[in-house]
Parts: sequence; C-alpha cells; structure tokens
Amino acid sequence: MKAYDVVVIGAGAIGTSVAYHLCEKGYEVALIDHGDIANGSSSHCDAVALICDKQPGLDTQMGAASIALYKELAAKFSYDFEFDQKGCLYVCETESEYEAASAYANRQAQDGYDMSMVDAKTLAEMEPYLAKDLIGGIWTPGDAAMSPYKVCFAFTEEAKKLGLKVYTYCSIQKILLGEKNQVEGIETDQGTIYTKKIINCAGVWAPDVGKMAGIEIPIQPRKGMNLISEKTKRIVWHKILEFGYMMSKFDDINFKRNVSPLVEEYNVAFNIEYTNDSNILLGGYRGFRGFDARSEIEAMKAIAERGMRFFPCLKDINCIRSYAGVRPFVVDHLPIVSDVEAVPGFYIAAGHEGDGICLSPITGKIMAQVVAGEKTEFDISKLKFSRFEKNVL
Amino acid sequence: MSEIMPDDMIVCRCEEITVGEIKQSIREGAKDITGVKRRVRAGMGLCQGRTCEKLVQQILCSELNICPEQTGRSTARPPVRPVTFGELAEGGVV
Repeated sequence: MKAYDVVVIGAGAIGTSVAYHLCEKGYEVALIDHGDIANGSSSHCDAVALICDKQPGLDTQMGAASIALYKELAAKFSYDFEFDQKGCLYVCETESEYEAASAYANRQAQDGYDMSMVDAKTLAEMEPYLAKDLIGGIWTPGDAAMSPYKVCFAFTEEAKKLGLKVYTYCSIQKILLGEKNQVEGIETDQGTIYTKKIINCAGVWAPDVGKMAGIEIPIQPRKGMNLISEKTKRIVWHKILEFGYMMSKFDDINFKRNVSPLVEEYNVAFNIEYTNDSNILLGGYRGFRGFDARSEIEAMKAIAERGMRFFPCLKDINCIRSYAGVRPFVVDHLPIVSDVEAVPGFYIAAGHEGDGICLSPITGKIMAQVVAGEKTEFDISKLKFSRFEKNVL
Repeated sequence: MSEIMPDDMIVCRCEEITVGEIKQSIREGAKDITGVKRRVRAGMGLCQGRTCEKLVQQILCSELNICPEQTGRSTARPPVRPVTFGELAEGGVV
C-alpha cells in the first residue's frame, strides 16, 4: 500500500473538510472511514449553520467565519450542497424569555454580528403560520441551511479533483508508533498505510482511534432525534427555534418553561426547517443513551406536541419518519482542534457535538493551518487537547 | 433482472428516481441500500422504500456482482406508516 503525507480518519463533516483543506495546501492525503462517506453523525442531524445558537466569543466567531466560508465554497464547488442563507428566528414565549433574548442579541450585536429583535407583528409577517401568541424573537439574517451529507460528498468530490485518495469501508486495526512515540503508519484491513501525520476526525468514535495511539479523548455520545414530514406545501420560510433550545443545548440557562411533563422529561426544544425537497424537519430531543440511536416513541410524541405549540397547522401534516444519531459531546461545549504533545504527528479535530455541520469549513481550514505550522485564523488555545492533559494513558 | 430494466425506468416512485440515477450513485461509490438512498433519495419518500428497496437491491447486486445479503437494508424507523403530527402527539398509532 501507499504512503501519504497525511491520513485523515473519519469521512463526516469534519474529516472531509479537513481532507479538502489539506489537499488545497498541496499535501498528498488519504481519507479513511470504516463505512461510507457521511455514514455517522453527519447524516443523522439537522441541516443548519447558525451563529444565533452560539455562546458569545470564540464560539460565535468560529460560527460566523464558517458560514462565510460555506458561502465561498458554495460559489466555488461544482457539487451542489444546497447552501441557502435563509436566516434564523429564535422565538420567545414569555416576557422573561424576550428579556433574556434581548440581552443576548445586544451582546452579539456589540461584537459586530447582525442580530436584532423583532416584535410579534413582524414575526407574524415573516412566518404567517407561526402561533399568534408569541412575544417576538431574535432575527439573524446571515444564518444558513445546507444538506449535511451533501456537504460531506461535496468536500470529498472536490478534494478528489485535488488528488485525495478515499478508503471507505476500511477498518483501522492498529496505529504504528515509532521509538519517540511518533506516528509512522496505520494498519488497516486493506493493508498498511505509511504516514507521519494522522488527523483523528472520528467524532463520537474518536476515543476508539485515540486509544490506538495511547491517549484518552473525553468525547461522549449524546443522542439527537428529529421527525420528518411528508412533502408538503411551504409553511415555514426560515430556520426557527424556541428560546428554550439554548437550555436544551447548554443545560445551564436559568429559566423554566411552561411545558407538559413529557416535553420536560425528554428535554424537547422546538426547532423547524423546510428542506430543499419540500419536507419539514421537526426537532428536537437530546439525551445521553450511550451509542443507542434507536428512535424513542415517547420522545417522538413530545417533539410532535411541542411542534404543534409553535406551528398549529402541523396537526394535519403527516410524519413519515423519525431519525436519531449520536453527537460527539465534550463537557465544556468546545471542540478539540489540536495537536497531541505526547504523540508527535497525531492531531484531533473532533467533539463538535451539534455544531459539526456548522463548524465544518472553519475546522478544516484551521486544522490544515495547524498541520502546516502556520498561524491559525483565530487564537485556538481554548480548543487544545492539553486542556485534558491528565488523559494521557 | 436489472439488465432488462431501462435506464429511464422509475424505481422509487415517491421520489421519482430512475434506474439510471441509481446506477450513477453506485458508480459514485454507493455500495449498499443506504449509500444509494443518501446519494439519490431512493427510499426517502412517503412509502420509505417499501416499493423500491428490493429493486434497488437487485440493481446493486448486478452492478457490483454481490449477493443480496451484502447490500444491507435501510434502517427501520417509526412510524411504520404515515401518521399526522396531531395523532402522534396524542399517542395515536405509531
């Protein structure tokens, strides 16, 4: 088998972007996955890149840079990944939510982001099918949608034009390390690949790859679930989330919603979007269930109930499928985009939880800068693996 | 079987996907039912592959020279038939 400058492990939204950006820099790159392209989390998620669900600071900065990159790539790529800068509404049910939302939007606007409050009247004009009793919401016009798995196919196909070699349905058996613990190659069921650099982009499975290099990566699977409607007329024009989504995402927003015990139990936060293929995606639920990605009937009921609170007309629209996947959760809600001091030549770009699609382009760009030894676009010291240093086995 | 299916024959009626489009997805790297589904939407419509899955399987087998066991299946997910969000929320048939 061949030798490559860099081997990227994991062909999801992160791995395919990292592979593309490395190819763009002129490296000879191989991309390995134990299944197909976009086989894991990147085909079991929703379809947006938002800044209005990010914490102020680095999180938002990366989100905004990533959306800007998506826009450039959509214009440049011949593979259409259905990029649509449709904007996002974060809707509030109560005055206290509206106050918290205003404070958040002001903070983001002070940092220079295009985010503003809209009142109930404007909300009703923008989304005529939305429940009429809502107070208002945050409007973020730059937020965007895309097909998550087509993003992975697009990066892969465009990178192939730059020389990328793809090994799908290829299982890694061993990572070969040298005397100084440096990366030397990978043994796979399709033969040995020699390389001095490995980028672990295996998301929720990154800890398994890490173990092969003797490090423990603190990423846990966190389940996410959504419902899909039949093809239907357009009832929603923007991405819409309820303000309580923040609570569901970060678990640390200090307010209680007036919801049923079922919605409360499953921590369901309403979000909705209309796809390119005329289906509605309705979410969502997050929970810790290990790697069990089966659909949960009670969570489906709760998602439907919560959806109808915001879009009463969903009542008569058919649900044709549910889907669930696991997201790579990191306890501080920041991804790991870093080298690993204990294993020279081993890098990690993983742990984006529900932001993998959003942060795919910028993560790929930054990781390629790290590998090339260039100055990165942002100060990414907060994303370093060394924040979990004690995890060296 | 798939040798006698013309390229313009519709296989997935819900999403209107033809034999030719499915063969193209296989040339682009699809190796199983899910791989075809993700590339061209065969099986993503109202019937969720009830009608076309076996046909897609036959095309995969003949294009890749594999047996039906190697094509996998699409993941079974509730609801087993379309049900309105209203019925769903009330705990109706899933």
